[in-house]
Amino acid sequence: MLKKRLIPKFLLRDGRLVKYVRFFENERAAGNPVTTAKVYNDYGVDELIVLDIVPSAASRGRVVEIIERMSEEIFMPFTVGGGVKTLEDVNMLLRAGADKVSVNSEAVRRPEFLREAARTFGDQCMTVSIDYKRISPNHASVFIDGGRQHVALDPIEWALRCEDLHCGEVLLGSIDRDGTMTGYDLDMIHKAANVLSVPLIVSGGCGSLQHAIDALEAGASAVAISSMFLFTDHSPIKLRSHLFSRGLDVRASTSSRN
Amino acid sequence: MSDVAIVDYGINNVRSVRNVVEYCGYNPIVTHDADAIADASHVILPGVGAFGDAMNNIRSRGLNEVLERHVREKGKPFLAVCLGMQLLARTSEEHAEDGLPHCGLGWFEADVVRLMPNDPALKIPHMGWNMVAKERSHPILANIRDSNLAFYFVHSFAMRCNDSDDVVGYAQYGQPVTAIIARENIVATQFHPEKSQDSGIELMSNFLRWNP
Repeated sequence: MLKKRLIPKFLLRDGRLVKYVRFFENERAAGNPVTTAKVYNDYGVDELIVLDIVPSAASRGRVVEIIERMSEEIFMPFTVGGGVKTLEDVNMLLRAGADKVSVNSEAVRRPEFLREAARTFGDQCMTVSIDYKRISPNHASVFIDGGRQHVALDPIEWALRCEDLHCGEVLLGSIDRDGTMTGYDLDMIHKAANVLSVPLIVSGGCGSLQHAIDALEAGASAVAISSMFLFTDHSPIKLRSHLFSRGLDVRASTSSRN
Repeated sequence: MSDVAIVDYGINNVRSVRNVVEYCGYNPIVTHDADAIADASHVILPGVGAFGDAMNNIRSRGLNEVLERHVREKGKPFLAVCLGMQLLARTSEEHAEDGLPHCGLGWFEADVVRLMPNDPALKIPHMGWNMVAKERSHPILANIRDSNLAFYFVHSFAMRCNDSDDVVGYAQYGQPVTAIIARENIVATQFHPEKSQDSGIELMSNFLRWNP
């Protein structure tokens, strides 16, 4: 059966690896993305997600170059996104070496774009990225433009709509928990995993090995992790062997560093 | 050293296949030229996209005849990946129009059918890392421990072989999924070795050393 996936998530700003808390607070520089990707590759992570968080024409060139360089030495799936608005954007990233392209704001503005992209490049190439925030205790809402713009969409309803538009996968991220390392939004994960038929990657809040177990047991197909890998001594190897020993269905480690 | 031909039939992304061949220390050329394919030591048929379009492109470039001659008649070592493997079947029901399946190259007594796992919780496409259980050994799996036979799959259709002797390994996804097939100098994988990290690199490297 399919293995649960461990996916480091890279945020790029002008081609540099960065990390924030709740999307905007405490910017921290986190190193060179290509070097870091090689280290994670040696650790045997399952995939990489690379998102350009302040996209511009200039940064697209940087991202393409970074993906090209990664794909010369790293042989695992890459999902790349940030500012993707046209079929040409998707095409450019796929040609650079991306296997999947993530679309966020443009899918909200122009849902038809998602359908067109899936028809052109295949459903499995299109990941929809959904950022949401709790706006009241029982209510969450989608935010676009890097968490700046509130839109009146329920994250799960929007994810289901994206599934109808033929996205291949959903990356669901909690803005409230981003960078806090306080654990995933398990309630949301549970609800989303129960209704979605495409794979669900969850993001936002992982700070301990147990957090990853909780998210996978709540139904996530994959956990996206950023701060924990960058800023703590919980490496992907340690997480993988912990999950494996707890009986979660992850790949056995093949890393030479293990 | 002779080149490794990566067959170019107009599909979008062969970069990672090219990169992994280079990484293994060989010289890849992406080509649809008959002479270049004739001169190559090994031939790889990559595959991303839709079956019908791929077959149309292959036929319009005369590649079916080039491959027939150099792979089937002359016995050049040949690896087909993902959709490339499916193209070796007789037919595929992917986007079949008016209920008529597309015709493939027909090198294997096999047909490509939609994945229908017997568990509604299993998602389609079958996407991610899955284990391959060996039916038999094969040189491209040399030095890969059984516990490391995890590979990266992305597909919604799969090959069903009439002759079980053609099957080297299956994955399980609510049904057996044909993962590796082989006969004589031909081998094909449903998964993407070029995306499967160490085990994939080992498999590619085994293929590139293979002299059946």
